[in-house]
Amino acid sequence: MALPQASVFLAAGLMLAATAAWAQGAATVVSPPKTTDGPETVDVTLSPECRVPGSKLYTLAKLGAVKLALKEKRPVRVLAIGSTSAGPGASASYPVKLETALERSLPEVDVVIESRGLQGEIASGAGERLRNMVAEVEPDLVIWQVGTQDALARVDLDAFGSALDETVQWIKSHQIDVVLVNPIYTASLAADDYYSSVVRRVQEVATREGVPLVQRYEAMRYLSARGDKGEEHMLGKQFRLNDLGLRCMAEHVTRAITLSLLQPDPDATGSAPGAIIVSPKDAAAKASVPPRPAGQP
Amino acid sequence: MREPNAIDFWRGLALVTIFVNHIPGNTFERYTYSQYGISDAAELFVFLAGWSIGIATRGRDGQPEPRLKSVLRLLSRTVEVYRAQITTMAIALAMIAGTALYLDNPLLLEWHNAGGFFADPIQTMVGFVLLTHQLGFFNILPLYVVLLGIAPVFVLVARVSRVAALGLSVALYASSLVFEWNLPAWPGEGDWFFDPLCWQVLLVLGFVAQDVNRHTAWMRLWSVRLVPVGIVIVVTGIALAVLEIRPDPMMVPEPRLVFTFDKTYLSPARLIHFVGVLLAFQTLYAVLAPRLGPVTGYLVSLGRNSLAVFSIGSLLSLAAQLIRFSTGGGVLIDLFVVGSGLFALGFTAWFVEWRSRKPRSSSQPA
Repeated sequence: MALPQASVFLAAGLMLAATAAWAQGAATVVSPPKTTDGPETVDVTLSPECRVPGSKLYTLAKLGAVKLALKEKRPVRVLAIGSTSAGPGASASYPVKLETALERSLPEVDVVIESRGLQGEIASGAGERLRNMVAEVEPDLVIWQVGTQDALARVDLDAFGSALDETVQWIKSHQIDVVLVNPIYTASLAADDYYSSVVRRVQEVATREGVPLVQRYEAMRYLSARGDKGEEHMLGKQFRLNDLGLRCMAEHVTRAITLSLLQPDPDATGSAPGAIIVSPKDAAAKASVPPRPAGQP
Repeated sequence: MREPNAIDFWRGLALVTIFVNHIPGNTFERYTYSQYGISDAAELFVFLAGWSIGIATRGRDGQPEPRLKSVLRLLSRTVEVYRAQITTMAIALAMIAGTALYLDNPLLLEWHNAGGFFADPIQTMVGFVLLTHQLGFFNILPLYVVLLGIAPVFVLVARVSRVAALGLSVALYASSLVFEWNLPAWPGEGDWFFDPLCWQVLLVLGFVAQDVNRHTAWMRLWSVRLVPVGIVIVVTGIALAVLEIRPDPMMVPEPRLVFTFDKTYLSPARLIHFVGVLLAFQTLYAVLAPRLGPVTGYLVSLGRNSLAVFSIGSLLSLAAQLIRFSTGGGVLIDLFVVGSGLFALGFTAWFVEWRSRKPRSSSQPA
C-alpha cells in the first residue's frame, strides 16, 4: 500500500508544513483539501478501505484544551479509553495507530497517548474509574470508546445515559476535552432495539454536551453495505467487518479530531497569538500536502 | 472437614456477593452489601485469607509449625491458586470466543479487556501466563497469587515480631500510596486492577489479628468496646454510597491516592470502612448462625472450599453475563441465572468434598 513516492511526497509536504508553521511561530493543523461537498461523498483523505462519508463518520465540536496545548507548543496528552487497547508493542494496535495518525495530522506536535481498558465497570462505576484514570494521567483530551460494556450488560438506558452525561460534564469541568466513540455495528445487532438505543444515547450525550463524536456504528454500517470485495475472512463477513472497523478506527478518530480543531473558536480574541489553523486550501497551497496525510502504514 | 465457623461463614457470604456483583447490571446487584459502603467483598476475602494463613501455619495446639513447612505450605497454595487462575482464564476466553462465533457477533470479543487477547495473541499469551494480562472480574486470583507468594516473608517476620511484620506491611502500603507503586499490566498500558503492594496490608492485618486474637484478651475486649465506632463507620458508609458522595480525584491534595476512594490502591477510606464493617459485624455470626438454618450450612460449605467455589463462580458469572446479553436480560432471566448459579456454587462445594472423600473409600478393600 505504501507507495514510496507517496511517502516521499508526504514527508516533504509535512516538513514544508512544519517549516512554514515554525517560521510563523505557531502550531499548524494540516487539513487535507476538502472534496466536493455533499452528504454522501466519501472522505477521500481516508485510506481506501476506510472511506466513509463525513456525515456518517463524525459530528464535530470545539476542542479547547487541545488547541491550548497546541498554542503553548507542548505535547498533547491523550487518554484513550476503550475495550480494544492492545499493547504498544503491537505495531497495528489502536493506540499506536492513533498516535501515528494524530502526529501526521499535527506535524510539529508531539502526541502522547496513554491507553487504558476498563475492567468490568459499567455506567456510574465506569465513570468513577474514569475519574481516577483522568486524575492519574492528567490528559488534554480523553478519547472514550463508550457503550460496549454497558450494552453487553444490558444496563438500564437511563442509568447509562445519565452516568455518561455526568462523567462527560466532569471531564469538561476540569478543562479537558472529550471525544466520544460509539460502539461497533454488527449485523446480528442491527435489529436489536436496545443496542440501537445505546448507540443513540451516546450520540445524544455528545450533542448535549457539545463534544465531538466518532460514529463508529454508522461508519461500520456504511462499510458493511459497501459491497464485499477484498479478502475473505475465515470467520465470515461480520468478523471481517469488525477487523476493518478496528483498523480504521484510529483514522476515523483522527479525522474527527483534526476537523474539530479547525472549528472556529468564538472565544478566541484577535490579539492573542493563537494557533494558526491552516485552512484546507491554504495548507494545500503552502505545503502541497498530498491528499492523504493520515493512516498510511 | 472443618466444623462450621465464622471465618468460613463470612467467606461464603463474600463468595456469593462476588458472584452476584460480577454479573454487572443484574437485578440482584443492588441487594448486595457492596452497594452500601465504600469497601466491598474483595476486602473481606483478602482479610479472611490472611486470617486463614494464621490458622493454617499453626498446629492444633497453637504452636507455630516449623518454618520450612510453613513456607512450603504457602508455596504449594500459591501454585494451586496460579493453576486455578490459568485454567479459569483459558475457559473464560474460550467461552467469550465461542459465544461470539455462535452468535456471529464480534462485539463480544471486546468483553472486559478480552479484546487485547483476540487482537494481539502473540504478546497477550505471554502476559496471560505472567498474570499481567487480566480480564475484567478475573483479577482477584492474580492478586492472591502474589499475596501468597510474598506471605512467607510476613509469616516468618511475625514469628520474631508481630509489630515488625505489621510495620513492614504498613510501610509498603503507605509508600505505594504516596509513590503510586503498582505492578504493570502487559501488554497494554496501565497497571494491575488490584495493586498487590497495597492489598497486602489487608492480608497481613488478617494474619496478625488472628495471632493477637489467639494470644491476648485485650483485642477481644477492645474490639467489643469499639462496636459503636464500627456502627458509626458503617452508617457513614451507607450514607456516602447511597448519596454518591465521594472526593473528586482531580481536586484532592497530593498524595492523591491517600484521599480518593480508589479500589486499585485500597485507599485509606476503603481500609477504614472495612475495619468499621469488621468491628460492627464481628459478633453477628453467633447471632445469625443458629437462626439461618440451612443457609448457614450452605455459606460455610462455600467458605470451606473457597478456591474451587471462587473459580467456578467466576465462570458462572461470565456465563450469566453471556446469557443475559443474548436473551436481552430482564428480571426473570436474572432470577434464573443467579438462582442456578447459587445452586451450582453449592454443588461445587459439595462435589469437592465428595471427591476428596471418594477415592480413599473406593480404593480400600471392603
